[in-house]
Amino acid sequence: MQRLNASFRDPSGYIFLHEGVVYRRVNASYATQYDQLMSSGLYDALVKKGWLVAHEEVEAASLPDHEDAHRLLRPEPIPYISYPYEWCFSQLKDAALLTLKIAAQALQRDMVLKDASAYNVQFIGHRPVFIDTLSFEAYEEGAPWVAYRQFCQHFLAPLALMAHGHTSLGQLLTTLIDGIPLETAASLLPMRTRLRSGLYTHIHLHAKTQQRFADAGDDTQPATSAKAPRISKKALRAILESLATTVQKLVWQPPKTEWGSYYEATNYSAGAADNKAALIGEMLATIDGPIAVCHDLGANRGLYSEVAAQHCAQVISQDIDPVAVESQYRERKTRGPDNILPLLQDLTAPSPAIGWRNRERDGFTQRAQCDAVLALALVHHLAISNNTPLSEIAGFFADLAPHLIIEFVPKADSQVKRLLATRQDIFPDYTEAGFEAAFSDFFEVSQKAKVSDSERTLYLMTRK
Amino acid sequence: MARVALSLLLLSLFPAQAQAYLDPGTGSIILQGIIAGIAVAWFTIKTYWYKLAALFGKKAPESLLEDDADNDPDAT
Repeated sequence: MQRLNASFRDPSGYIFLHEGVVYRRVNASYATQYDQLMSSGLYDALVKKGWLVAHEEVEAASLPDHEDAHRLLRPEPIPYISYPYEWCFSQLKDAALLTLKIAAQALQRDMVLKDASAYNVQFIGHRPVFIDTLSFEAYEEGAPWVAYRQFCQHFLAPLALMAHGHTSLGQLLTTLIDGIPLETAASLLPMRTRLRSGLYTHIHLHAKTQQRFADAGDDTQPATSAKAPRISKKALRAILESLATTVQKLVWQPPKTEWGSYYEATNYSAGAADNKAALIGEMLATIDGPIAVCHDLGANRGLYSEVAAQHCAQVISQDIDPVAVESQYRERKTRGPDNILPLLQDLTAPSPAIGWRNRERDGFTQRAQCDAVLALALVHHLAISNNTPLSEIAGFFADLAPHLIIEFVPKADSQVKRLLATRQDIFPDYTEAGFEAAFSDFFEVSQKAKVSDSERTLYLMTRK
Repeated sequence: MARVALSLLLLSLFPAQAQAYLDPGTGSIILQGIIAGIAVAWFTIKTYWYKLAALFGKKAPESLLEDDADNDPDAT
């Protein structure tokens, strides 16, 4: 039994791993709340909408850690855990709206969300799902929303900064595990955001009020923290509406020049692209056993993730470029396939392990173990733009998956020529033979095929 | 500032609230007190505005929070 570190803060229960299955323990102290969630119809309504992760109550006696537990739950598995700093703008926005919709549904049934952490949302394919079954508690007439500040820090502040500042500001969440402090957000946001009533209220005025009452808990002052204004249910609902409208109005329009260039950026013909897709499909088909999760690394807008989606249960389609990820996410929402999750990932500095003892949120390499990896038109970026030795690249992929489909792009290719145009060529080993030699320490080549009408070669490799 | 003073006055009139595992933040609680009335008023005006607009055949936009659980077109 391994207790997972993501849930240690909440005294209502925790998640643990037993024989490869994730369970959630409901502590006796949360019994009343849990029973209300289940009996009020709220659980059924949310699961029916696909908003809340479904779970089964399991026979506790067969599991470890069942003593004194109110219930042990087996939630529907999440194929791949991703974090807010790996989501594009629209993914964070959809997660924010989902959280507010759930809060409103809960309120209708006399419950509230006791927290509004962005980590309570996960994506299954392109669909956001709320995963914390223990986030609900009984609504107390007149009580304000305890999670209001957390919602603003985890969702509203990063979204506002991405929409009105720069999309890369979402990356602040990598170090700020409890969201962006509102004072920080207010100081970074442009003046014009003060003219928008929602942003003014929930960020600028909110930051000011926090500052004003920052010392309210001090012994030297009257303990205002123990007192709270009465907020009617109608007012709470109106605050949720106001937050939803504010979030909805935030829009990030990716730069138009970059949008279009993806279609033309490849240097090979339509015939070569078709041939490449067919070869990838054939290689995936020859892999023995089911492919539960496949990572497409350097996926761009996910053209080949679509091929992989026909052979794999879930494809995690990752790219360093927020424009490509945003574009792909919007496309997946409108026309599928539903088993592709687009995410942001910079492989030269992958998501680190963060939080308490560096164990609260796993780093990329801890989470990315999977059945197969696609690395197409990627090696030259890692080897030449990032100066990574080929043996290092091979070792990195070998850590991730037993099967690797990788494309070698030689110096004769115009994309590599472009990378070398502005710098000295210090890469004598960057040849097909050098590539094969470096990878042979970790992999056996199962298949090798030239992509027609191009300089490129595709390999299916199996880990030694 | 007048509003803050008003909210402090309100604070003294109402009792303490539930224990939560999350620190809601004093400022965040007080702000909710300040904006509660405004939010309700705005929400009410909007509702009546849409009702009025409906008389002239204009359809009200759907709530972002999808109130009606039973008539949700997105339900799966």
